Amino acid sequence: MPVDAKHLAARRELAQGISAVERPGPAANQRIQVALATSAAEARNALVVGLTGAPGAGKSSLAAALADVARAAGRRVAILAIDPSSHESGGALLGDRVRIDEHPDDDGRFTRSIATRGSGRSLAHVAAAATILVEAAGFDLIFVETVGAGQVEIGIARLADVLLVVEGPEGGDEVQAMKAGILEVADIVAVNKSDRPGAQAAFDRLRSGLALGAGAPELALVSATAGAGISELLATIDELGAGRGVRGRIRRVEAHLVAAAESHVDAQVREATASGALTTRAEQIVAGTQPLTGSITALFGISESPDA
Amino acid sequence: MAERTTPIRVLIAKPGLDGHDRGAKVLARGLRDEGFEVIYTGLRRTVDSIVAAAIEEDVDVVGCSILSGAHATLLPKLVASLRASGASDVLVVAGGIIPEADRPELEQAGISGIFGPGTTIAEVATFLRANARRR
Ligand code: B12
Ligand SMILES: Nc1nc2c(ncn2[C@@H]2O[C@H](COP(=O)(O)OP(=O)(O)OP(=O)(O)O)[C@@H](O)[C@H]2O)c(=O)[nH]1
Ligand SMILES: [Mg+2]
Repeated sequence: MPVDAKHLAARRELAQGISAVERPGPAANQRIQVALATSAAEARNALVVGLTGAPGAGKSSLAAALADVARAAGRRVAILAIDPSSHESGGALLGDRVRIDEHPDDDGRFTRSIATRGSGRSLAHVAAAATILVEAAGFDLIFVETVGAGQVEIGIARLADVLLVVEGPEGGDEVQAMKAGILEVADIVAVNKSDRPGAQAAFDRLRSGLALGAGAPELALVSATAGAGISELLATIDELGAGRGVRGRIRRVEAHLVAAAESHVDAQVREATASGALTTRAEQIVAGTQPLTGSITALFGISESPDA
Repeated sequence: MAERTTPIRVLIAKPGLDGHDRGAKVLARGLRDEGFEVIYTGLRRTVDSIVAAAIEEDVDVVGCSILSGAHATLLPKLVASLRASGASDVLVVAGGIIPEADRPELEQAGISGIFGPGTTIAEVATFLRANARRR
């Protein structure tokens, strides 16, 4: 039986909306405003769950498993999977859907792959805007997957209501390394692949490591592919996300504003680099013909604080 | 129409029970390196799920890789479903093992390009840039 066109019409509109906000400008802003107004009018307060962690930890599989449990309970679920664009070609290979089953005739599901494009910081600039659109389209639970790599996590932490860090059974040394950064912002650390040897040990290492600090994240031991611990994990996510109300949407607008600013600066930096203006200015500063102060304004159009 | 400012988005799909995925993977990586955003959905997808993925990803191109001999039934069905879902401006191309004799019928059904063994990535990239919708 072919999928019926009416079924896909709503998803198509959302999909095209996301493409539209991927091209920044007045039209994109207009769409975001309309989406915010829709969500406000209909009191939509989606729960946005960030998933981050090393490549291959099982983020996509876990998002899919959590989505299945939530969907079975009647919730409308979306997954936004972000992958890096190549700095050289500008292209991207977006492969997260391989782990996420398709549900062609279920309008309560939506999956979208997003490339980071120009965002040097690798949480796509468009991520916040996309969640705003997805929320307005009536999805209650939105998973945002991003590859963990330093700076990114701060971006996803800003965007998500609940931030989940996914670890594989090999976690241990990385856990040490992560302590300074991501564990400060993580709400939950999930050790995935509990069906594999070493997962329990990684979980124990993590628990003893984290027991010391105050405000430590929740811990979970799960298997995305075997379906172990998934309902419990979803319950923990819901508990942590409860009572956010309109705060979630405010947080998404904050994240969008920061992304828009970063996007603007990134574009200015690219342009100043490509045109040679950056090098010229640096040469002038070195030669003493131009002052350092005022250079950022001259190059990138950013106002400097008076005492800079 | 204006020059596009965003990369061309391509869905690389493996419909049916065909387990040959080498060509699809070579193509996916190659097109990434040519500046395309490639969505790869993995093996053994139904026509319906390929259509749904194409819609959700708002792709400009759907590329099917078929080496099993099932192209004559799968490809026309895919084009018809895409069109019925309103995605009539999506370019559909195919590759793999597709005999010369079957091509006219597939082209008739709306497959815009067919690429067999030995095709270079550059050839595919050039074709897609020339024929994908502008936006
Ligand atoms: C390697 C191979 C296998 C491997 C596959 C490994 C893998 N993971 O891919 C294994 C051993 C598993 C295998 C198994 C079988 N195979 Co086999 N296999 C081949 C072989 C020798 C090469 C295929 C290949 O990888 N080529 C290299 C890649 C890079 O080339 P490509 O896929 O053609 O892709 C290029 C182009 O076609 C094009 N392209 C491909 N897809 C797309 C998509 C788009 C959108 C575009 C634009 C371009 C494009 O671009 C690519 C780059 O140039 C072919 C014979 C041949 N010479 O093609 C037989 C062949 C495909 N196999 C065949 C058969 C029958 C089978 C089996 C059924 C049993 C058997 N007899 O071995 C099983 C079935 C497996 C299954 N589950 O489906 C037959 C198919 C006959 C047919 N269609 O009528 C072939 C043609 C051999 C033959 N002459 O009989 N096979
Ligand atoms: N044994 C086992 N394998 C798993 C589990 N979860 C995921 N995997 C496998 O781990 C591999 C990576 O899974 P993904 O879900 O793609 O991981 P990811 O973190 O999204 O990967 P990237 O998006 O590439 O960073 C795949 O082969 C999965 O099948 C699990 O619970 N147990
Ligand atoms: Mg993934």
